[in-house]
Amino acid sequence: MTELVRESLRYRELIWALALKELKIRYKRSALGFLWALLNPMLQMLVLTLVFSTILSMNVPHYAVFLLSVLIPWTFFSQSLSYAADSIVGNGDLIKKIRVAKLVFPMAAVVSNMINFLLSLIPTALIVLALRHPFHWTWIFLPVPLIALTIFTLGATFFFAVANVYYRDVGHILQIVLQLWFYVSPIMFSIDFFPAKYRWLFKLNPLIFVLNQFRLSIYYGLLPALDSIIAAFVCAFVALGIGYWIFRKHQDEFVFYV
Amino acid sequence: MKQSAVAIAVDNVTQRFRVIHERPDSLRELFTRFFRNNAQFHDFEAVSKVSFTVGKGEMVGIVGRNGSGKSTLLKIIAGVYRPTSGRVTVNGTIAPLIELGAGMHSELTGRENILINGLLMGYSKAEMKEREERIIDFSEIGEFIDVPIKQYSSGMYMRLAFSVATEVDPEILILDEILAVGDLPFQNKCFDRLRAFRASGKTILLVTHSMGNIVDFCDRAILMDHGRMMLDGSPKEVVEAFEAASLPHKHELVEAETS
Repeated sequence: MTELVRESLRYRELIWALALKELKIRYKRSALGFLWALLNPMLQMLVLTLVFSTILSMNVPHYAVFLLSVLIPWTFFSQSLSYAADSIVGNGDLIKKIRVAKLVFPMAAVVSNMINFLLSLIPTALIVLALRHPFHWTWIFLPVPLIALTIFTLGATFFFAVANVYYRDVGHILQIVLQLWFYVSPIMFSIDFFPAKYRWLFKLNPLIFVLNQFRLSIYYGLLPALDSIIAAFVCAFVALGIGYWIFRKHQDEFVFYV
Repeated sequence: MKQSAVAIAVDNVTQRFRVIHERPDSLRELFTRFFRNNAQFHDFEAVSKVSFTVGKGEMVGIVGRNGSGKSTLLKIIAGVYRPTSGRVTVNGTIAPLIELGAGMHSELTGRENILINGLLMGYSKAEMKEREERIIDFSEIGEFIDVPIKQYSSGMYMRLAFSVATEVDPEILILDEILAVGDLPFQNKCFDRLRAFRASGKTILLVTHSMGNIVDFCDRAILMDHGRMMLDGSPKEVVEAFEAASLPHKHELVEAETS
């Protein structure tokens, strides 16, 4: 684990440059460019709000804020994973030509999506203001779940980046897994909406603590309980431990499979 | 950093690759293979028990036919492959110019690519900023440096890649077939740069099919064939042996076609 920290610090300039490159390329051909990072969550929210508050008449005040508070960290997670799954295979040409620390590629994918996430806090704040939802002081607590989520995401990206090198099917399977994961996570709803006897099912989801913390801070204006914070970090470090262990074990072989 | 007279030591290095035969003939075969999980493959040794050393400041050429293992050998030395067995020791910073333009992205400008390329080779941002102007000068790209490189001509692209790779001042330079870059005046500049590198005591490993370059530049040469090192000697000796061996290989071609 100390090795991971040391390597990330050593290659921080490269990781940063690769992350910026990814963003630049993502938005380069579009007329609106970086504005899409802001527009995307707004439009996504618009669609989901329309579906859930209007058609399904979900009875939650300021549903847009309720939804968005968890949707944007979820988007950070799922986009990071989608990008990272392809990060080793997609950079195969490079890996075959120069010696380069392999971990920079999944890390750059996470960093670029982190930038996206931070940008999407701006439209979220605007929507909070527009709906006259109270702007809670608990926003300042957001770095805590964000750090836990980033650690968890890194672990998952390391795992999927490796898996996709050996079986390209993983990239496709991942999309299905993410979709399922989205629906069983308390994103569009809260687990309180379900009868108590089913709630344990949702608690199997390692992301539940961290997602709830985002909602508590942004929507309810409450601080999460200490045990929830501890649980979030335990999940995060377990994921990172497993993911990085697998990555490290296989990184020298990537060049033969990409 | 350890000081020693040896820049590169290759000790009994073998690189084995697994070649997987894909393309199942029918869908059913695909399924049965998938479930039995016995993809057909064979192993072959791209580099087989090769040992040699390169002294500091020496320029060594590697010759051999296509598929003889030259590039694989360079990639092992550059650290791209970890060899199946054997050891490689490298003393000093190394710039592998194995294929120019690795890490270049067509949507980014020349300037952005200089930075990314340098970072990928292990230099810091500050070091690259300091060298940027010299790289742009040498490449003769001029005002195109702030244009996405997808709009470059292939000559401009190669010139930029060569400039980045050689401006970074490594102690050991690995060159794989990249001297024929750009037009004649630029090629002359490349050779001048190579001579300057040599004069300043850098170690250079060169793979080329130009026997003239081997004889003109190298202190020593190595002949590779089918992954094995056949000869390690003076450039003239090696070139003669290579040319002698290259002539009578017609029967091999016939064999390859009928098999």
